[in-house]
Amino acid sequence: MSWSSLSLGRRLLWVVLLGTLLLGISLVLGLCLGSTPAGWRRNLAALLGLSGPHDVLATIIWRIRWPRAVLAGLVGATLSLGGLVFQALLRNPLADPYILGVSGGSAVGAIAGLLAGLAPFPGVALLAFMGSMGTLMLVLVITASEPGARKNSLLLAGVMVNAFCSAVIIFLVSITQDARLHNMLHWLMGDLSIAAPGQTTLLICLLIPCFLAILALARPLNLLLMGAETASYLGLNVALTSRILLVVTSLMVSVAVCQSGLVGFVGLVVPHLFRLRLGPDHRLLIPACVLGGGSYLIMCDVVSRVLPSQGEMPVGVITAMVGAPLFVLLLMRSR
Amino acid sequence: MKFFRDMRILAIIGVLGLVAGWLPGSAWAQVHVDQSGRRVDVPASPQRLVTLAASLTEMVFALGAGNRICGVERFSDYPPAARDLPKVGSYISPDLEKIVALRPDLCLAIKDGNPRYVVDRLQSLGIPVYVVDPHKVTGVIATLKEIGRLLNVEGRAGKLAAALTHRYQRIKGLAAQAVRRPRVFFQIGISPIVSAGSHTFIDELITTAGGLNLAAGKVPYPRFSQEQILALQPELIIITSMARGGGFEQVKAGWESWQTLPAARHHRIFLVDSDIMDRPSPRLLDGLELLFRLIHPELAGELSGKLP
Repeated sequence: MSWSSLSLGRRLLWVVLLGTLLLGISLVLGLCLGSTPAGWRRNLAALLGLSGPHDVLATIIWRIRWPRAVLAGLVGATLSLGGLVFQALLRNPLADPYILGVSGGSAVGAIAGLLAGLAPFPGVALLAFMGSMGTLMLVLVITASEPGARKNSLLLAGVMVNAFCSAVIIFLVSITQDARLHNMLHWLMGDLSIAAPGQTTLLICLLIPCFLAILALARPLNLLLMGAETASYLGLNVALTSRILLVVTSLMVSVAVCQSGLVGFVGLVVPHLFRLRLGPDHRLLIPACVLGGGSYLIMCDVVSRVLPSQGEMPVGVITAMVGAPLFVLLLMRSR
Repeated sequence: MKFFRDMRILAIIGVLGLVAGWLPGSAWAQVHVDQSGRRVDVPASPQRLVTLAASLTEMVFALGAGNRICGVERFSDYPPAARDLPKVGSYISPDLEKIVALRPDLCLAIKDGNPRYVVDRLQSLGIPVYVVDPHKVTGVIATLKEIGRLLNVEGRAGKLAAALTHRYQRIKGLAAQAVRRPRVFFQIGISPIVSAGSHTFIDELITTAGGLNLAAGKVPYPRFSQEQILALQPELIIITSMARGGGFEQVKAGWESWQTLPAARHHRIFLVDSDIMDRPSPRLLDGLELLFRLIHPELAGELSGKLP
C-alpha cells in the first residue's frame, strides 16, 4: 500500500492523527522543558495537578510555560497556513505570509509603540496590528484598478511597501539609543516571551475561525493552482475567491504577528516540507500545516529557551537555523 | 435565605484568609508604597531577595544583606561574591521561570530599566516587587536608606548613608574652591561617539566634581561626530570602559593624534570604569572622587587622607 493509493479520507485521517500526536508531544515538551530543570516524575505530577496548589513547578508550568507554548503553537500554525495560501494564490514558491506588506507595517507599528514606551500587550500589539492593516489596505488600493488582482502586481506592491517600511524601521532603530533598542531587535526577530494567559485566549477566538474559513476554501485553492483561466472555466469566481483568501489570510497573520514579532522562515518552509511529502492537495495540506507548523514553532521555542545558558534567544534565530538545512535535505532526497 | 448563605461563604473565606496569614514563612506583611507609586506587601524582614539590576545587588551587599540574595540580574558583578549567585536573566527581559523557581519573598526592581510589564507579571505570579527610582546622588543615598528599612537593617543603612553624604559634601566643598571649570568630554560610546547629557548621573558627577560637561543638554545620551568634538575643544576626554575590551588604546591614540585638542596636548585623556559612573549604587561616590582627582588634580591633595 503506497501513500497515493490510499483514499482521500484515509490520507486525511493519517495526517490529522499524526499531526495531533506531534502537536501533543511538542506541547508536553514545551511544558516540561525550560530554564528550571526538574525530573520527569515531578514534571508529571505538576502536569497532572497532583503536586498541590503551592508547588512552584506547577506555577511555572501552567502560568509561564503554558501560555507561551499555546502562543507558539498558534503563531506557528498561522504562519504556515499563511505561507501555504500565498504560495498557491500567487503561484510563487518564494511567497511567505508577510508578502502583502504585513511584516513591514506591523514592525513599524510595533517599533513606534516600543519607542512610546507602551506595554507589549495590548499597546504594542495594537499598534502593530494597525500598522499591518494600514499596509494591507495600501497594497489592496494600489492593485484595485487591476482586473482580478493580478498576482504580479500584488507581489510587487507588497515587496515595495515592505521595502519602504524597512527603511522606516532602520531609521527608527538608528535614532534609538537606550535599552529599547534591545526590545526592538527582539521584536524584529520574533519574541514569544511576553505570552500571558489572557492574550492567548483572545488569539484562539480570533484565529480558529480564520483556519476554518481557509479549510472551507481548500477545493477552490486546488482549482486556483491550475491557473486563473482554467479555474474560471471550471466555474470558480476567481476574483472573489482570491480577494477573500488574501484578506482572511493577511488578517490572521497580522493578528498573530502583532503578538509574537516577526518570526521568520516558518511560513516559507513548513508548507514546502508538507508539499514535498503529501503532494499538492490542499485538503490535506491545510490540516497538516496547522498541526505541523504549530508543533514546529513550539519545538523551536523550547530550543530557544533551553539552549542558551542564560536568558533566551529570539525564536526566529532557531526557526531559520533548523528550518533551512532541514528543507535543503528534504529537497535533495526528493529528487 | 440566599443572602445568609452568601454571608456564610464570605465568613468562611475570611477565616481561611486569616489562617493563611498565619501560615509558616509569612511574618506579618506590611504595605509599602514604592518609588513608582505602587502599593506592595513586603514581609517584615525579607529573607530571599531577587535583585533585578546590578545597582540593586550592590546596594543590598553594601547594606550587609548580601547573604539574603537568592538571585541576581545577569550583569551583577560587584562585589565579587555576587558573581556566584544564580542569574535570572537580563534586566530588560528577566527569566520569569527562574525567578519563580527561586521562591523569593521580595524582588527589588528599578524603574528606569525593568519594564513595567515585567514588574506587573511578577506581581501577578505572587511575588512582591518593590520598585525604586533613584535620581541624583542624594536620591541614591535616600534609596539606600529606604531599602535598609525594608530589609530591617536601618542602623547600618543610616551609618552608610551618613558616610556617603559626608563624602559627597566634601567633594562639593572642594570643587567650590576651584578657580575655573575645565571643559570635559565624557565618551561612553566609541562608534558612534556617544556622551551623557543633563539629568544623567554622569552629568551630575562631572558638575559636582567641578567640571563643565560639554554634552550638557536635553538629549540624555547625545551622539557626536569627530568634527564636533574638535570644535568643542575639550580639556579632558574621559572614556568609560562600557564598550568592554573595545580597543581603548586605539581610541586614546586616535584622540592624541589631534594636537589641536587641549586634552591631547596636555595628555589628559583617561579611561575610567563605567560601573562606578553610571550605576545608581554606593560606588557612585568612588566615581565622584575619581573624577574630582582627574578634573582638579591641583586640589586632589586635600582629598587624600582622613576618611570619617
